[in-house]
Amino acid sequence: MDVQTLLAESKARFNHNSAKLYLTEKYNAKLIVADQGGLWRADAQTISFLLSLQTLGAEMILLDTFNTPVKVDRIELIKKLSDVYAQVMQEWHSEWQELETKR
Amino acid sequence: MTRGVLLFAFNSTEYNYVKMAEFTTRKAKHLLNLPCTLVTDKSSVIDASTELFDQILIIDSDSDNQIDGRTWLNKGRYRAYELSPYDETLLLDVDYVINSDKLNLLFDIMDDFMCHETISYLIHGHNRHEYLSEKLSLPTLWATVIVFKKTNRVKQIFECLKMVQENYEHYANIHKFSTDSYRNDYALTIACRIVNGHTYIKSDIIPWNLLHIHPKTKIYNSNTEYIVLNDNWQRGKIKKEYVTIKDIDFHVIDKTNFMELIK
Repeated sequence: MDVQTLLAESKARFNHNSAKLYLTEKYNAKLIVADQGGLWRADAQTISFLLSLQTLGAEMILLDTFNTPVKVDRIELIKKLSDVYAQVMQEWHSEWQELETKR
Repeated sequence: MTRGVLLFAFNSTEYNYVKMAEFTTRKAKHLLNLPCTLVTDKSSVIDASTELFDQILIIDSDSDNQIDGRTWLNKGRYRAYELSPYDETLLLDVDYVINSDKLNLLFDIMDDFMCHETISYLIHGHNRHEYLSEKLSLPTLWATVIVFKKTNRVKQIFECLKMVQENYEHYANIHKFSTDSYRNDYALTIACRIVNGHTYIKSDIIPWNLLHIHPKTKIYNSNTEYIVLNDNWQRGKIKKEYVTIKDIDFHVIDKTNFMELIK
């Protein structure tokens, strides 16, 4: 018996809450970025924090996700993290739309 | 600098671990583009497709361990450090399904050693931590995926793993866990703690969750994606539910399910 027949005969329903959790696991992992000698999460908080520090200039010290202080070029890091964030969110949105139609 | 995958596989009467290792090797070569070395014993190597592996190392397996009344040949993992032919090694359980290129990132982000601590179960609940025992205990590290370089500290971790394996009852007594079965996860947890001076080193932890397929959940292969099917019991009735997953790695705890998956 193939899987689609099995699903149909067992009257299995697609679990949207579990699908959301699976997507969160998958795409949160894709937000992890190694750059400029540190490990970062390309999430809204990190990008917003970096954007809020304009008065400090380009070069600054930042704690990475392993709590290691790393000297970074803030502008370059914003660009890198923003690019990753945008790409991952696009993929996340596409896959969610695909799964949302399942019943 | 050489990189590669190291797999331990000793066949038992119930399960063909070498076949599982072959499946994992095909996936590792296709998705990670890494060479693979199999560590096995004389009786299991007969089943191996020798052309698939870059190297096969034959050692004596240790049959002195049981789980659910059957032999579980999972001891001797501490030998990974001395046996690995690579400078940077990805040591995997053979029932771990590589289904993305995510593991390659580990080589770029590790200092010299990394393994999983946090976990979650697909569709079947959502659990972040397992502990060695119920009260005031250490969060379990998972030996399912380990990446390491050959440094003095990592050598000490694997030597300590050997010491914990050889004195498992003693450590079980201290940490109040069962000695019914030897678990590499528990031994690794203790070894890492000892070598790190009983401190928590965040950079030793893989920064995403280890995704498990629960034994009560079935996983099926369907073309490019996998389907995870769960029986959700509600008021004495089964409500069958499923999710589809793709481009994500996972660990299948139920070996029977894993064998069905790779047929």
